[in-house]
Amino acid sequence: MKYELVSGLETHVELSTKTKIFCSCSTKFGGEPNTHCCPVCLGFPGTLPKLNKKVVEYAIMAGLATNCEISNISKMDRKNYCYPDLPKAYQISQFDMPLCKNGYIDLSNGRRIRINRIHIEEDAGKLVHQGGNTYVDYNRGGVPLIEIVTEPDFRSSDEVREYVEKLQLTMKFIGVSDCKMQEGSMRCDVNISVRPVGSEEYGTRTEIKNMNSITFMTKAIDYEYTRQIDVLENGGKITQETLRYNESDGTTSSMRNKEDADDYRYFRDPDLVNIHVTDEEVEAIRRALPELPEVKRVRYISQFGLPEADALQLTKSRAIAEFFEAASDGVKNPKTVANCIIGQIFRRMENDDAKEKFEVSIPASYLKDLVLLLDSGKIRMNLLKSTLDQMLDSGKPATEFLSESDLSGVDTGDLKKFCEDAVAANPNAVADYRAGKEKALKALLGSVMKASRGRADALEVERILIELIS
Amino acid sequence: MVTHEDVLKIARLSKLQIREDELEAFTKDMDEIINFANTINQAAVESSDFDHINRLENVFREDVVEPSLPSEEILRNAESQEDGYFLVKKRG
Amino acid sequence: MEDYGKIKKLHDSLQKKEFSCEELTKTYIGAIEADNPALNAYVHTTPETALAAAREIDAKIARGETLDILEGIPMTLKDNISTTGIETTCGSKILEGYRPVFDATVWELLRRRGAVLLGKTNMDEFAMGSSNETSVYGGAWNPHSTAHVAGGSSGGVASAVAGNLAVYGLGSDTGGSIRQPASFCGIVGLKPTYGAVSRYGVVAYASSFDQVGPIATSVEDAALVYDALAKQDPRDSTSRGARELACGTLKKDIKGMRIGFARQYFDGVRDEVREAVERSMQVYCELGAELVEIDLPQLSYALPVYYILSCAEASSNLGRFDGIRYGYKAKNYGDVNEMIAKTRSEGFGKEVKRRILLGTYVLSAGYYDAYYKKAQSLRGMLVQAFQSAFERCDVIAAPTVPMTAFERGKAAQNAVETYLTDICTVPVNIAGIPALSLPCGFDQKGLPIGLQLIGNSFCEATLLNAAYQFEQATRETVFRAAKMGVR
Repeated sequence: MKYELVSGLETHVELSTKTKIFCSCSTKFGGEPNTHCCPVCLGFPGTLPKLNKKVVEYAIMAGLATNCEISNISKMDRKNYCYPDLPKAYQISQFDMPLCKNGYIDLSNGRRIRINRIHIEEDAGKLVHQGGNTYVDYNRGGVPLIEIVTEPDFRSSDEVREYVEKLQLTMKFIGVSDCKMQEGSMRCDVNISVRPVGSEEYGTRTEIKNMNSITFMTKAIDYEYTRQIDVLENGGKITQETLRYNESDGTTSSMRNKEDADDYRYFRDPDLVNIHVTDEEVEAIRRALPELPEVKRVRYISQFGLPEADALQLTKSRAIAEFFEAASDGVKNPKTVANCIIGQIFRRMENDDAKEKFEVSIPASYLKDLVLLLDSGKIRMNLLKSTLDQMLDSGKPATEFLSESDLSGVDTGDLKKFCEDAVAANPNAVADYRAGKEKALKALLGSVMKASRGRADALEVERILIELIS
Repeated sequence: MVTHEDVLKIARLSKLQIREDELEAFTKDMDEIINFANTINQAAVESSDFDHINRLENVFREDVVEPSLPSEEILRNAESQEDGYFLVKKRG
Repeated sequence: MEDYGKIKKLHDSLQKKEFSCEELTKTYIGAIEADNPALNAYVHTTPETALAAAREIDAKIARGETLDILEGIPMTLKDNISTTGIETTCGSKILEGYRPVFDATVWELLRRRGAVLLGKTNMDEFAMGSSNETSVYGGAWNPHSTAHVAGGSSGGVASAVAGNLAVYGLGSDTGGSIRQPASFCGIVGLKPTYGAVSRYGVVAYASSFDQVGPIATSVEDAALVYDALAKQDPRDSTSRGARELACGTLKKDIKGMRIGFARQYFDGVRDEVREAVERSMQVYCELGAELVEIDLPQLSYALPVYYILSCAEASSNLGRFDGIRYGYKAKNYGDVNEMIAKTRSEGFGKEVKRRILLGTYVLSAGYYDAYYKKAQSLRGMLVQAFQSAFERCDVIAAPTVPMTAFERGKAAQNAVETYLTDICTVPVNIAGIPALSLPCGFDQKGLPIGLQLIGNSFCEATLLNAAYQFEQATRETVFRAAKMGVR
């Protein structure tokens, strides 16, 4: 029998607000244990939560960026479960009235992943088990999260990968999270079941919690998919359970048994009041939302005529896209700007992280001015390249490196003289060319360009050279 | 009818241990209280869902950092602590 | 000294230097030493800080400064109100030794106005009880007869104030915990509208019911303290503050005020209590008020609705006591999870465990709709019922408790029977509206009977005005007699 994967994702994304969701403690990552804490986030008796406005705003931005409806009225609920990292023994979350619902993300294969809901909630603290002792650090307790819950719409681990990457890019782009999986600011719970192809019913699902690497997540899904099929093929039954993925051997194993069935006893948190968002407020947030990476990519291709690969690279982060757009504003050929960024500026970035941050020593306007010089025929491409390198080294504008004569271009008489000199100085190359070796012309061309310090138009030079030696 | 099993299950969720010699008494109490609570089932409910008791909405805080409490204050009331962590020591 | 208008009189004496604040404070400290063993009202006393505060105030008086009305007045707080560095134990073993690192807003408000804190007073464990006998420190006893309880859960405050071991105190009222002990002890207790007073720093029992309010020997004192407390607090999202101050309108004429009464409030009420309340309504007639009969059939569901919802919230609120960050921690355990379960099992008393179990039960899968959700709907109905009632009247008069103070040890016998004694007090907590209790007579044993006055949301001023006029009218009969036995 042929089986297909059915998978859904719950993604926790830490919001990059300055303060926690219910108190004014900093959300900064790291720090000595229990130094970003106060009576509120530690749940001292009698303390009360107060909702951070920015959390609501960021969650709405996330909802709009994933095509969700924003609820006019939503509320906060308590999810009750006792664990030492949860100081109040309940997590303040949203149960039946989430802030955002019914969104989607479209994949490149044309399939649509439906988002059931996005809600806001608080993170828990951290436990360290050592030598039988348990150490508790509540610095992360109360850091704001959004949980993005999809329908079981994934049919392959590749789809999961693309979705997570897209989600990551979008959240970073709109500035609500840094989505660093290795620091835990983005993590996924994935549920997996299989069913015979063509079947409409869902199989029994298992859940793998707290995946914080896309690579391991796809491996885990593939492993679990094969394992479940094996079980079914051998006449077995899938047990509904929570699994852990073992990174060392690439297998999954059971985390806890069903005896402690989750019963979270959700109810409205009486310490907090309703969140009422008007349509006008939603529209204002929508208007303030930056153009999303996908929309930008399409526009770069259609409006600027960029190849898809370039468009993709330039929309890897908002910083890159904004730089590109500012630098190509009013230039004749944005592809030149794209080339400068991808070919020269990226090369100076140490890694992907730095690329995304895109901290460039020159403002975009310097690059634009440089490209405008090319557009107006005042400089040639290779001079542009060398000048850009000097600009990037020094952080100074193009005018610092281009002399009057550079900018005045090459006069036709001079150009002819350069060509004649080159022909005279390279008899071998001339002979080769005449013997049919077209490549020999390149040597002559190089010599002319050198003499003109790169200012000459290569096509024009070629034309003159051929005229001289044919 | 509230059973011993019900009480034990609820106790587990509540993180309470019920000793064997307490079980009967707790079960009886729970049964009486639940019977008493059942009287609400005679009531016809006219109104729809109840909202928050004081009907406030949109009470927010601005996203401005204020100093956290020094960790010695945070840890002051803990029975056990080490290197800034709350500690649950291995026992038994 | 006469109990009526005590705060104002003490204030004037301090200002006129008839005695110093230190002398006044010492008198109360001495009274506590003498009488607290019999009353068990205080569970933690703070004589040193009280005297230090008093001396500062004396220095102020010496400099010729004008005192705030509450400045230098010795008072007390129920032991569920957080006080920096001063034990706050909620009458529970699980909070033994707990010294908060912050002040409750209500205490901060009073402290800033120069209140002199004598100590923290006894209460039913986590405010769950009607006799103060669920406290790990034992009951607080009634100054009228120490063979009887002071009531609960704010029994310690009522006992201290009635026994003149404090001028006034703050209690908390979730289902009657201010009004019932005030009634038992023959003094005045006000439960404000939900949201009038901040809950920040008050250890939660049931968050959508809890309110802090004053317990005092007269309506004027209660009004003074209420005005000081009813401020919007940025730390409590559910707080609004008072709509209007109460002190200015206390003496207003109440001619034409409509006093409502519902027969449902008198079901199962003892004859002596019923008669006293009926006589009180006569007093209102004589004062020119108009009596209006109203119908509140929904009251029959009030008790189960209250217990279902308050216990549900309590089961969640009390989850945090796990021994890790504060309070009692079990000594012998295997892993962390066992430590938590043992800490809770050893740290909580029986009544608290009962209510946690009930609350967990009504919220758990399979029971939520039948209990929690249904009770919420009925809560909505009760809110509406009171709203319509207040279209026809300004204040509702009722008994506070169907009986007078219980004998020692009699309340804690049967859970449900004890719950039934809260019948007259819980409806206002369900509806979030204000109510107060003030003395209106005595039973044959000489135990006080309380008259409950219920007002519409944020109409504390009207409520206190009605109470003040009653108190003035009965000053020579009821009120003077309500003065305490012990001192």
